[in-house]
Amino acid sequence: MLEFYHISKSFSGVEVLHQVTFSIEQGKIIALVGENGAGKSTLMKILAGIYPDYEGRIVFEGQEIHPHTPREAQRLGIAIIHQELNLIPDLTVAENIFLGKEPVQSFGIINFSQLYHDADKVLQEFKFPYSSRLKVRHLTVGWRQMVEIARTFQVKACLIIMDEPTSALSEQEIPILFEKMLYLKSQGKTIIFISHRLREAYTIADEIVVLRDGNFIGKYAKTDISREQLISLMIGHHIPSERTIHYQPIREKETLAVKNLTVLEKNGLALKGLHFTLHEGEILGIAGLLGSGRTELLKFLYGELKAQFSGEIIYLQQHFSPHSANDSIRKRMVYLSEDRQGEGIFPHHHLQFNGTISYLNKLSVVGFIKESNEKALITSWYDELQIKRRTIKQPILTLSGGNQQKVLLARILLIQPSLLLLDEPTRGIDVGAKEEIYQLIAKLSQQGVTIIMSSSEIPELLRTTHWILVLSNGEQMALLETQHTNSQEILKYAFSRV
Amino acid sequence: MKKKIWQFFREQEGVKPFIGFISIFLLCIIFSPVSSKGNLIFLKFDNLANILRQVSEIGIISVGMTLVILTGGIDLSVGSVLALTATITAFGLMDWQLGFTVTILSGLLAGSLAGFINGILTSWGKIQSFIVTLAMMTAARGFALFISGMNSRNIGFGENAAPESFKIFTTSFFNIPFPVFIFIFITIVFMFVLRKMRLGRYIYAVGSNQEAARLAGLRVNLIRTLAFVFCGFLSGLAGIIHAAQLFQGNPNDGVGFELDAIAAVVIGGTSLQGGRGTMGSTFMGVLIIGLLSNILGLHGIQKDFQLMLKGAIIVAAVLLQERNWKFAFLKK
Repeated sequence: MLEFYHISKSFSGVEVLHQVTFSIEQGKIIALVGENGAGKSTLMKILAGIYPDYEGRIVFEGQEIHPHTPREAQRLGIAIIHQELNLIPDLTVAENIFLGKEPVQSFGIINFSQLYHDADKVLQEFKFPYSSRLKVRHLTVGWRQMVEIARTFQVKACLIIMDEPTSALSEQEIPILFEKMLYLKSQGKTIIFISHRLREAYTIADEIVVLRDGNFIGKYAKTDISREQLISLMIGHHIPSERTIHYQPIREKETLAVKNLTVLEKNGLALKGLHFTLHEGEILGIAGLLGSGRTELLKFLYGELKAQFSGEIIYLQQHFSPHSANDSIRKRMVYLSEDRQGEGIFPHHHLQFNGTISYLNKLSVVGFIKESNEKALITSWYDELQIKRRTIKQPILTLSGGNQQKVLLARILLIQPSLLLLDEPTRGIDVGAKEEIYQLIAKLSQQGVTIIMSSSEIPELLRTTHWILVLSNGEQMALLETQHTNSQEILKYAFSRV
Repeated sequence: MKKKIWQFFREQEGVKPFIGFISIFLLCIIFSPVSSKGNLIFLKFDNLANILRQVSEIGIISVGMTLVILTGGIDLSVGSVLALTATITAFGLMDWQLGFTVTILSGLLAGSLAGFINGILTSWGKIQSFIVTLAMMTAARGFALFISGMNSRNIGFGENAAPESFKIFTTSFFNIPFPVFIFIFITIVFMFVLRKMRLGRYIYAVGSNQEAARLAGLRVNLIRTLAFVFCGFLSGLAGIIHAAQLFQGNPNDGVGFELDAIAAVVIGGTSLQGGRGTMGSTFMGVLIIGLLSNILGLHGIQKDFQLMLKGAIIVAAVLLQERNWKFAFLKK
């Protein structure tokens, strides 16, 4: 029904899909799995007409196609349901389903009775429990997803692509979605769904397609392949990158002890069973899949997550209850956000402004900034971190991502922290800068700074940390000593609750 | 070398409004009416001093408005707060017999209090500043009308009336009216606050990236609130000057002042998104508005045309600020 021949796609000179070739039969549910950056979404977006600029051929129902726009793909019968739902919350369910295709009477007036009648008929097939006159705002995410699926029915799609459809659903809602997927299958529709939750792939899919680093690895009937085999196919047999010889800290003074910590966030995931102790100079890595609670854990400790918690935190020999960023900084606990643009830099301002903002109270007398001291201090830090700059009055946006990150590191290191919380410190920066940041982390550890670092790249954790804490769905699955573990073991734990 | 000079100019904020001010000043000289003695009326000392006096109230308010806009907010209540403090000043001096110092302090306090309420509701109440200050704009005017019993109050001097010391606001030193000194002093003070003080940095930081500011340990809500308090305080100060210059406190005055102040800030090139702009450029914006009204006034052009022109100037100023126009002929 659908065949890909040698599909390649590059983004600004970097090839992300290499000669992908495989085919799919009608009436099957296909799970498309792979790590982050494996090319799953890219491939599906090509099919849905979002990236019209690719190499290779696609044959759909016996005809060669090349969709240029989503609308064109829709006309061909290919519908995509995005991760972020595209419904209008203040319109009714029926209005959303028929958006742009409303039945009209003369003068362009919408025939509402017909609209609701048709919508109810469609929704009946989905065992939709509410009236189609209900506003979408009042539906749960799961049912919204159903409405979105009902909408794809309207465009008479025969191939439905779902991009991580379960990521926003609760445990109870997932079976309902699966039921609908089976119903669609019984109607002869083909479904491709992208997921990195292997359990789901095994529950619902007929066949599993594995992509890795933009390559097609294989297509397997789910009965033919075990979970372990699948994981090793997904990650490949990476040669673990060279491990630097860790400086082994003397486990003398405790910096942070977290005992049986459970955090309940108002909306979203809960952190459970956190239990670890860190000494001066130790580096703890946090591993886990997307949405496993890595960022939440760091933000909670920093006091940015206003949430109820039980358990005990002891920081520098004192009971600690995360309160606010301001409070944490005073206690020499600092945080580097994963979102450099959104939560890190002050885009309108220069390097000096960006570097010293957290340290100004130490640099000023009754509110007046001693600018000569400030300049001398920040210049020495920027020199030490080797930030390539013209002057410290240069706007931060004129720097590369790696240098911006180093400015932010200088900002938090000025505080002379005892505990560093680094959230994806090397995201989106070039290899050279990454290396410098690894070395900086090692150096800080030798100076006795305790570091907790989250990363989505396991090799990175393996080479920089002493301990690795694996989170899965918010729960601490394991606390591994880096020297005696490997990426397979980490991934096994990371996947264990999904 | 030339490239470096250009880069320097691009990185220096406040250069563009200064160029704008200079060009408009030159235009004013060119188009100035000539007196019978052959002098340019525009360039007369009295005329120039008069321009500054006319803009001093709006100017002082614009300083406060700049602070609020830099944090990413807006304050629509300044005109009403000015009317409220003008009313309080007149009644304090005439009816309540509070004397010079207490009257002025209570005027400033009333303004600051209005700003404080604005700040609290915006920061901790998490209501958009547009809405909060719109409400304050209505409420403060209502309170002024309540105090005054819907009437304006004239200020007279003498026994059982205003003390002579209140005349300081209408006195001139070196032929320059006293409010001008206040305006320039206030501008310099807050220029200093923004450039040299911790609070100034924090104000920029909050407006530039609120999330980053909070994560960097700044007390965002407190800083926001302080900006509103300053804005209210300065509106109060402007209200006192207003009452002194007109010798009356009128609860219906100050309508539309908020828009004039916002216009001055915007002409100066401060971004309404917050985080970018300087006090100096607001000063230039205020002067540009003053120059235009003056030159049009000297030519006897009526209010109708003045308003239309002002509208055009605002748009033109923003267009020139926002786009990085490439002046090809200048680069050669």
